Amino acid sequence: MTAAIDADGIHALLPHRYPMLLVDRVLAVEPGQRLTAVKAITLNEPCYAQAKNFAYPAALLVESWGQAAGVLALHGDPGRDVLDGRVMLFGSMSGVDIHRQVFPGDVLEHRVRVFRALGDTVIFEGDSVVAGEPVLTVNRMVMAFRPQGEGR
Amino acid sequence: MSLVMADVRVLRPVAEDGSGWDAEAAIDIDPAEPVFAGHYPGFPIFPGVCVVDSVHRGALATTPEQAGVLTLAAVDSARFVGAVYPGDVLRMRLRWRRDGPDWLCGTKASTESGEVASVRLRYRNVS
Repeated sequence: MTAAIDADGIHALLPHRYPMLLVDRVLAVEPGQRLTAVKAITLNEPCYAQAKNFAYPAALLVESWGQAAGVLALHGDPGRDVLDGRVMLFGSMSGVDIHRQVFPGDVLEHRVRVFRALGDTVIFEGDSVVAGEPVLTVNRMVMAFRPQGEGR
Repeated sequence: MSLVMADVRVLRPVAEDGSGWDAEAAIDIDPAEPVFAGHYPGFPIFPGVCVVDSVHRGALATTPEQAGVLTLAAVDSARFVGAVYPGDVLRMRLRWRRDGPDWLCGTKASTESGEVASVRLRYRNVS
């Protein structure tokens, strides 16, 4: 697999850090349009430290997809200058269907499209697959990009 | 699984009323929660998805007996209107109702500063 954006690039774009940096590699990106990214789930995830059930938390699955959307928003023209130094805030989501649980060994492939961009607010849609099989569908996710410290 | 370390406290057990089932729960947001190290370094904010995860755990702790064993099928909707910070107490008012074969849990989550999120989770019976 070749990387359109590697771990260095993701680390530079997103403010998230361990243990909440949940995108490993971007496979393809059309700035302002669409992006495909992967996240490999392993037994070494911090969420499994005390675990007896190894289903990956649905909240982290959604967060990982959302971070892929964040990379799309922050990468390349026309967004970067406008969004530089800003905090990514999760505004809302709707119609987020979880088709099945995912487990260590699964490689999530997130496919994100920009549905609409309105100023500092971007609406995304898309899905996630594991080996071509659907695991998550996101009808709408809304993110706002605000100066740090301004809050919501 | 443990995304948020703190336990859910059930403040008021689930009880049926005229239009569904109602309960209250809370989670104390410990500044030592591991997520804060990475979200974000130097300005800790409790992630929105961790609010959703807290609501999910609150829902599992207050599931009506009639619902049986449930699995999360969808986040029908989640709207975030305020930030949650280290040291906050996240309070949740959970309302359950049936929707065909599914069970819906609609939750208003708040801190001392006011409402922070409104979340509707959809569950499916797997028992």
